[in-house]
Amino acid sequence: MRNIYLIFRRDFLGYVKAWGFWLSLAAVPLFLIIGVGFGMFAASSSPVRYYTVIEPSDVIARAVEGEFQQRAVAAAEEAVELAKQMNIPLAEAEEQLADAVGDRKFIAVPAPAETLEDLRPWLTGERMVDGPAGERPLFAALILSEDGSVLEYWSGDVNITTLKRAAEIAMRDMSRRNALESAGLDASFLKEADRVAVKVPAFRLTESHAGEGGAEVTVADRAPSIVAVALAYFLWLMVFSIIQYLLMGTIEERSNKIFDTLLTSVKLPELLAGKLLAVFAVTSTMMLSWSLFAGAGSAFAASQSPAVVEMIQPFIAAATDPGLIIPALVSFILGYVLYGAIFMALGSLCDTIQEAQTLLSPMMILLMLPMFAIFIAFQDPGSPVIDYASWVPLFTPFLLILRIPQDPPLWEILAQMGIMAVTTALIVWGATKVYRAGAVHGAGIGELGGMLKSAIGLKPKAG
Amino acid sequence: MGDAPLVMSGATKRFGGFTAVNNLSFDVPAGQIIGFLGPNGAGKSTSLRMALGVMAPDEGEVALFGAKPDIRNLRRVGFLPEERGLYKKMTARDTITYFARLKGMSAADAKARANELLETTGLGKFKATRISKLSKGMAQKVQILSTLAHRPDFLILDEPFSGLDPMNQQTLEDLIRAEHARGATILFSTHVMEHAERLCDRIVMLARGRKVFDGTLDAAYATLGQGARMAVEHGFDLAAALAPKGFEAHRAADKGPGDSWRVSLPKGLGAQDALRAALETGAPIVGFQPEEARLRDVFVSLVGEAEAAALDVPTAAETVEAA
Repeated sequence: MRNIYLIFRRDFLGYVKAWGFWLSLAAVPLFLIIGVGFGMFAASSSPVRYYTVIEPSDVIARAVEGEFQQRAVAAAEEAVELAKQMNIPLAEAEEQLADAVGDRKFIAVPAPAETLEDLRPWLTGERMVDGPAGERPLFAALILSEDGSVLEYWSGDVNITTLKRAAEIAMRDMSRRNALESAGLDASFLKEADRVAVKVPAFRLTESHAGEGGAEVTVADRAPSIVAVALAYFLWLMVFSIIQYLLMGTIEERSNKIFDTLLTSVKLPELLAGKLLAVFAVTSTMMLSWSLFAGAGSAFAASQSPAVVEMIQPFIAAATDPGLIIPALVSFILGYVLYGAIFMALGSLCDTIQEAQTLLSPMMILLMLPMFAIFIAFQDPGSPVIDYASWVPLFTPFLLILRIPQDPPLWEILAQMGIMAVTTALIVWGATKVYRAGAVHGAGIGELGGMLKSAIGLKPKAG
Repeated sequence: MGDAPLVMSGATKRFGGFTAVNNLSFDVPAGQIIGFLGPNGAGKSTSLRMALGVMAPDEGEVALFGAKPDIRNLRRVGFLPEERGLYKKMTARDTITYFARLKGMSAADAKARANELLETTGLGKFKATRISKLSKGMAQKVQILSTLAHRPDFLILDEPFSGLDPMNQQTLEDLIRAEHARGATILFSTHVMEHAERLCDRIVMLARGRKVFDGTLDAAYATLGQGARMAVEHGFDLAAALAPKGFEAHRAADKGPGDSWRVSLPKGLGAQDALRAALETGAPIVGFQPEEARLRDVFVSLVGEAEAAALDVPTAAETVEAA
């Protein structure tokens, strides 16, 4: 154990002292902060834009304005519904949403001139329009043709299409409304038809609600699936992260010709265990740091709004459920050791980073398959694809976690954990052989096939 | 310390169809300095790796302190591999401390020992310097210090002088003598015979995987026939002149005044007898030198001049030039 600790300590400190580790550690929170901050800044810094409509009456202007209002109301209703699902107090949500509704970015102003030619100074910013947000240039003008068949959209900035799209939708709705009216139907006909449509609420069948039939589906019901996907992704991210550490670290030692010295001081399994633990500790440190960052962010959010506590509570409950966390933990450990041993053994066969890079492509393909499964599980947690693929030992660590929320039979969980354990033991055994051949005897990647045959006794051992 | 540090009995190692070491048997008794000699590719490094248990022999046996090599008895061994390598981002002191700890020393003892070794070898001011920032010679010194930091009973050094300048070669020779004086047994491999001549009690010679000699330096020299070098004026046939006197002479390629000849000495006769006989024949002698036995000559005579040339044995002059 002492030697494992010493190998672990040296490797861990070697990784942690490298600036790349701190860069990676800071990258996720930094990008998150920058991303969120940038999004918020982009939203808040988006300027109020004035537009005007040139038409004989005010029909078009009212239709466009109506479209903007309708959008704000729809967004507000959606947010209130989400708040209901997440148990956020409605008053608070509605208050925030009312602010959002009032916070309009496109405002109609009276036309300062009647023709496009006359409007040009305002559209180019040479002259300013006075409006609710102060003096600003005219962002766009909607000009109805004389025969009323075309509504021209004129603006100096064609990249911002919000107003154009709003005008298009407004025109389409107006056309439909006119068609209904000409057919003798009231304008509220469609609205009424929508209102009386048969609703499709979702319920989850539970034993506790057997008498009533079940409970309405909330976010809490989806929490175990979401947590399982997150855990599987977490494991995938961890395995993905260790590739470079194990490959590059082993290549460095092979090129340093240090193995002979090490192997006269420690046993090969001790060396491998120390190295795997070191990389595990490095990635765990990163993940833990990111989790702490997320926890701190959540705590801060909770201090600002008690509703956040209620929102995250179902996720905490799912993540601490022994039925999910125990198989997940087993999958984590075995999956890490399984993939770690493979990468380390392959690294021991490479002399250069270029040689290792040729191995990265097949490894990436191998790792993308469980990633696809994670994606499928997110879309369709009960997909048979997940069930079948979870019996493939290389995918089991990821997919067993994903299956747990679907309550698979206990024997299947135990059998898959057993398969994982046996596969991991075999892979570690084989990887030790390959590692010895690569690190001690200088075997290259081209000799891998021969070594595997030799390991399973298909031909006599050479050397 | 009852068991010999190393006993190899009929050790053979093959790589595919190539036999790197063939039925090698020798022992390393405690307290000796033994030179493991041979040209490049003779199988020295493979033999040492078998001695350390890094690779197992295909046939034969290896006993390290009376047992199969394992981590327990390897703690009594310090090994310097031929292919040097250290962690480039570690400091000199951390490197020595790390390897000493892997050999069982406590953290405090290992650190103190690292400081002591670095100070005594003139590397004290580089103790906190990363290996990547040290010169190649300094880094090699650090590796050598890492090998002996835990005060091993048995030092196995594979080509320890390779890549060192003459000053550092002398420092290493002094270190080897100091370790021997401390009580360590030392086995070092080299293809440069001069180091072995200066340091060894005994030599084991290897060529093409086979042992060709095992004994003391005197016994090695005794394998060579005695001889003398003579230079005579151009055109004089020394072989014809000395033949009736019972001496055999061959032309040699030595540079210098006149024609150079090597005269073989029959048993019981010395170089002075050969000189006297040549003078009696009236040979116009312009130079004379009794032959001094050298290990290289022993090696050349044992494995054959032709094979030695094919195996690229360096001459003393080449060795000095390379250094």
